Amino acid sequence: MKMTEDLKKAYENMKTGVITAGGFLGNDERLLVDIIESDEEKIRSLNINLQDYIKKIRYLFEKGKEAFEEPVTIDNKWLIKVDEARGHLPCPFEDGIFRKVNLRIKNLNNNEELLITELSLHLIEKHHFFQGKGSPFRVEPEKLKKVLEE
Amino acid sequence: MNTILAASFLIGGLSAVLAALIVVVDGIVNNYGEVKIDINNGKKELKVNGGASLLTTLSEQGVFIPSACGGRGSCGACKVKVLSDIGPILPTEAPLLEEDEIKQNIRLSCQVKVKSDIAIEIPEELFSAKIFKGVVEKINDLTYDIKEVKIKLIEPNEIEFKAGQYMQLVIPPYEKINEYTQRAYSIASSPSQKDSVEFFIRLVPGGIATTYVHKYLKENDQMELVGPFGEFYMRNTDADMICVAGGSGLAPIKSIVADMFERKITNRNVWLFFGARSLKDLYYVDFFQDMEKKWDRFHFVPALSEPEPQDNWKGETGLITDVLGKYFKEKMDQNTPKEGYLCGSPGMINACIKVMTENGISEDKIYYDKFA
Repeated sequence: MKMTEDLKKAYENMKTGVITAGGFLGNDERLLVDIIESDEEKIRSLNINLQDYIKKIRYLFEKGKEAFEEPVTIDNKWLIKVDEARGHLPCPFEDGIFRKVNLRIKNLNNNEELLITELSLHLIEKHHFFQGKGSPFRVEPEKLKKVLEE
Repeated sequence: MNTILAASFLIGGLSAVLAALIVVVDGIVNNYGEVKIDINNGKKELKVNGGASLLTTLSEQGVFIPSACGGRGSCGACKVKVLSDIGPILPTEAPLLEEDEIKQNIRLSCQVKVKSDIAIEIPEELFSAKIFKGVVEKINDLTYDIKEVKIKLIEPNEIEFKAGQYMQLVIPPYEKINEYTQRAYSIASSPSQKDSVEFFIRLVPGGIATTYVHKYLKENDQMELVGPFGEFYMRNTDADMICVAGGSGLAPIKSIVADMFERKITNRNVWLFFGARSLKDLYYVDFFQDMEKKWDRFHFVPALSEPEPQDNWKGETGLITDVLGKYFKEKMDQNTPKEGYLCGSPGMINACIKVMTENGISEDKIYYDKFA
């Protein structure tokens, strides 16, 4: 995959202070295309069905919203909590605008935890972008698997 | 070697010339001269240098429009009604404007540039919003994820506000955050306490402001605040008040209840429903239970959605909306006029509005602040 003009523009939007104060890249100095390809490879090697995971996360988002931002136990497997802050964030790929909604998921069987936002979910689903290493909202594929599957 | 040096000087010189050119062009292109801003049909008229955003221009003149994102065009809080023609809605505004707002020529003041004379309409209360300098007097853990922060006001040293309103805390740069950020929090203290303000701040994972407050802010730190803002306050009627709060949404309700009691507005029935997951998420229970003893028309109903066995919880259990519905049918007088006051998550508020309208409160009598 090449760094197309669209990817270059998205990369600029991901830098610190453009859309969010912390940016989407953390301390990852790789090209955007390399970050995406490396995580796609990781997803393949872990045998993750991304569409199933996304469906599961959307389900947990809905359940969390129904609990009015209080923590809630779902299916005796996850303790989740949704937080919503004032405002919206545009996607750095410029294909949508998202409310600032965070979902914290804790797998009660192994105590593994994950923080994911509605924008993060869109970035993973549509762009296979899990964010750069060191980004506060990076979703590690291994962590994703541990939290959702085990 | 000489060639390399010459090339370096040449590139450096060219860069300097280009930079100077950009400054000159910017000065010419963005120099709109003196322009007039008419506020509320002549109530206030400002003469300003054009070129900056309406939000920035107004704040430089001491008129503060609420803004929770520092002018990035992401929060949608800085909407103003523009009465003059300033051109079409910008792509950066469109996602944050409802259709009826566009029809009324509501614009995002952080995105609109002041290029010529402009007439706007803003709530009169905004004239009294100011920048306050303060010092953190006390930080107290209310729960494992909610802190109570008390800020003593230094300059100006007193504040006037209506119970239920909010202020914006100015968060300084820290760690990798290299710019100032503003976030809105409801005032929890009573308006009678003029020399300081208190806030309940819940830690939002990844939140710039709440992380700063929970992990970095210390007693005796200096802090800036802007405000007061907001349309969430007690309406002066005789209707029963049905208040519902979740999490840090208790802050404005606490301010309203304390204010009513202090001003002896105790002739109204007030029901306060406070929803939490388990006992460790509840706070200020003693305060409200004490209020119940002193004020016979005040009723406090805490409810837990998932009490722990060790909580030995004897109170109401279930989602706060279910408890609210039950009380409407079983405990409240069906024949009195009622108003709703809600503060919490958008989901909780939407669900409470549904329960309240199903139980006879019209939507225009339900007041809410979706973000505590």
